[in-house]
Amino acid sequence: MMTILSQWKLYGLESHFKDSPMNIDLNTPIQEAKYIVVDTELTGLDAKKASIISIGAIKMNGSTISLGDFFYRIVKTDTCVRESILIHEITPSESAECPDIGIIMKEFIDNCTNRVIVGHFIDIDMKFLNTQMKRLFRYKLENPSVDTYRIYKWMWKRQQRPDAFFEGGPDNKSLFELAKKFDIHVGGIHNAIYDAFVTAQLFQKFLHLLNKEGIKTLKDLLKIGEV
Amino acid sequence: MIIEEVVEFLKKSPPFQFLSDEELQRIATSLTMEFYPKGTLILKHGERNIKALRIIKKGAVKVFVKNAAGEDVVIDYRGEGDNFGLWSIISEEGQKTNVLATEDTICYLLNKERVLQLLDKNAVLAEYFLKSHLSKYLDKTFKEMLQRSMKVSESDRMLFTTCVEDIASKNVIKCSIDSSIQETAQIMTQNRISSVVVVDERGLPVGIVTDRDLREKVVAKGRDVRDPVKNIMSLPLIRIDASDYCYEAILKMIRHKIHHLLVIKDGNLIGVVTNHDLMLLQGTSPLTIAQEIESQQTISGLATLSKKIIRLVGLLLKDGAKASNIARIISEINDSLIKKVLEIAEKNFGRPPVPYCFIVYGSEGRKEQTFKTDQDNAIIYADPRDDKEASVVRDYFERFSNFVINGLLECGFPLCTGNYMASNQKWRQPLSVWKQYFTDWIVTPTPEAILASVILFDFRPVHGDVELAEDLKEHLLKALKDHDIFMVQMARMTVNVKPPIGFFRTFVVEKTGEHKDQLNLKFRCIAPLLNIVRLFALEKRIPDTSTIDRIRRLKNIHDTVREFGDELEHAFEFLMFLRVQHQLSQIENGKSPDNFINPDQLSNLEKKTLKAVCSLISDIQEMIEQRYLLGRMM
Repeated sequence: MMTILSQWKLYGLESHFKDSPMNIDLNTPIQEAKYIVVDTELTGLDAKKASIISIGAIKMNGSTISLGDFFYRIVKTDTCVRESILIHEITPSESAECPDIGIIMKEFIDNCTNRVIVGHFIDIDMKFLNTQMKRLFRYKLENPSVDTYRIYKWMWKRQQRPDAFFEGGPDNKSLFELAKKFDIHVGGIHNAIYDAFVTAQLFQKFLHLLNKEGIKTLKDLLKIGEV
Repeated sequence: MIIEEVVEFLKKSPPFQFLSDEELQRIATSLTMEFYPKGTLILKHGERNIKALRIIKKGAVKVFVKNAAGEDVVIDYRGEGDNFGLWSIISEEGQKTNVLATEDTICYLLNKERVLQLLDKNAVLAEYFLKSHLSKYLDKTFKEMLQRSMKVSESDRMLFTTCVEDIASKNVIKCSIDSSIQETAQIMTQNRISSVVVVDERGLPVGIVTDRDLREKVVAKGRDVRDPVKNIMSLPLIRIDASDYCYEAILKMIRHKIHHLLVIKDGNLIGVVTNHDLMLLQGTSPLTIAQEIESQQTISGLATLSKKIIRLVGLLLKDGAKASNIARIISEINDSLIKKVLEIAEKNFGRPPVPYCFIVYGSEGRKEQTFKTDQDNAIIYADPRDDKEASVVRDYFERFSNFVINGLLECGFPLCTGNYMASNQKWRQPLSVWKQYFTDWIVTPTPEAILASVILFDFRPVHGDVELAEDLKEHLLKALKDHDIFMVQMARMTVNVKPPIGFFRTFVVEKTGEHKDQLNLKFRCIAPLLNIVRLFALEKRIPDTSTIDRIRRLKNIHDTVREFGDELEHAFEFLMFLRVQHQLSQIENGKSPDNFINPDQLSNLEKKTLKAVCSLISDIQEMIEQRYLLGRMM
């Protein structure tokens, strides 16, 4: 049986373990902070039974999206669920050729260094990611994480009169409904990296709106959006 | 998929469309994306250190300055696919204007280093930016940078951006007209050159001797090498101006079937340019094809060769050549093909009994062909002395023409559906009959006569006795005098087809209400513009046939063209570019080329330009209507 230490060695994580875990100043203005927008595709919603099929992430510096600086990995898996294959169009043979989740998680952690994690209903993604983190490395991701849906709900409540953007109330939950509402182009593709990109564009618009609402620093942002 | 989307977008955004897929891929991955809510001042006047070129992905901006009174003066609106901020990047001076988002706007940002790199590597890009964005503000630094980038680049497109002077051999080796052949050959050997300019006592160039002359006129003929060199030198000397672009040199070489041109600057001989110099400049050269045509002896050989021409157009287009330049090169090459077919015919049927001239008209006559268009040709021959000769001549040209028309068909020139070809006896007549045709059409301008005039009046000679064509042209221009009824009918025809103004009801930045119908570019835009320019050319009775030449000549003598000449030229250039690009992509996809453009496939900038072109045509049509038609009805 493999010890935890041997797993760390396997993934080259000793150094990671020693790193000062996180260096994010919560007084940073939200327009200058560094973010990583994350989306995962899952085989189901129960973290005990289901697993991660793929991870997509794209970086933002303030409200600027770096188009070439993205992370997209399909996880090697032997549990395959028909429904999710239909949604994500990742076939079992395709994912069988992909690297092991441990290697992917290590890369993912490296990409997240000193960045605030952002996602739509990010709590679900975090639950799955942290299940893997605990299983593999015995610790959780320490990055603060912010949910775009929570931000949206907060803004809707603040709105005195429901204007065009916000009509229909906070019940429009899905990423694509919100994207449509905020005039963000959504192509026909539906996978972790593309959804992360759509989320990033949504968050980009939110950052501008939030500034007007008096949300100035990361501390303010986390107050309304952290999970 | 993120990057692919960006690449697709860039492909529709000039000037990035000129870049290779790999280059676009590299650019796309280096981009960042920003969002500016409506009302954001994106760039401020006086702002320094602007780090990126912004390309509008979605939305629109207003470029403006403040005048002394503090009011906004709008310089430009930019929409999707347009870019801004270049000036500050390259000049390293402060931003000269303000740029404000007039709606929610998303921009791609291309960082400064990469912009400078691109400009340095791609002459076409540099030229595009220079022409479309900077002509107003152009400063010296950029001019110098541009010139440097042109010299460093080794790309094929140099042909259209390099002056003859830049590649000509400057050190002109001369020999005196009194030298012997042997002395001349020694000079050439010592200097390791393939040609030497022969000068007279005053040092003025009178001829040129090339390797070919030594081979063909001396060695092959066994001529005495002590003979004076003037006996073998080539005449006439074809000159080219030092400031002409290299493609002009190619055109001249093709036309005169020579390999050396004298380069003249301010009246003085400063160098020689050879086909070798030009070929070094680019890989697949139009000149090589012209030479291959020259060496063919059979129709089937020519037919194989003519297939290369389409490939050549593709290459030229990818090099970012101007559509009108491409059309001119294609016309020169097609002319060589036609000439060669005629030479083969002359060999087959023996010398023609009377002098004749083979003329082309329509788009061929205007030198505006892109891909193979229908044959539009005719034969003018000298008037026979008597009936007996007339019948011999008729028989000869009947057989001759049928052979030529079929030969051209084999070479990929489709038959004319209207039968406007030399194989039709109506278009194979002695000069006197031709003159009568023209006179009749002008005196009695029936609808059929106007149709024939529109096609035939753009004629030019390709082969044979050019004087016959010149005589006919002179007759035409004279006959036009004082025939107002004809001009009114021409004007009526000119305003008959209106450009699709209502087609673009929405402004470039609006997202809804787009018409889905396709646009017949030739019928609705190109032909109306051609007809306008032809009408003006006939008004002033100028002999030119190509639309661009006509516009240029009319600029000094025609009031409307004086005012709108630049716009007309630009509009024509743009329409030709759209068409040639559209047709090339059809050919590459295995379809046969047509003129139907789907506006959805145009970039926003292209839509905007097309809209402007249509308004221009419509405005000028209105002026013509006022002048010719309304005034007369009252």
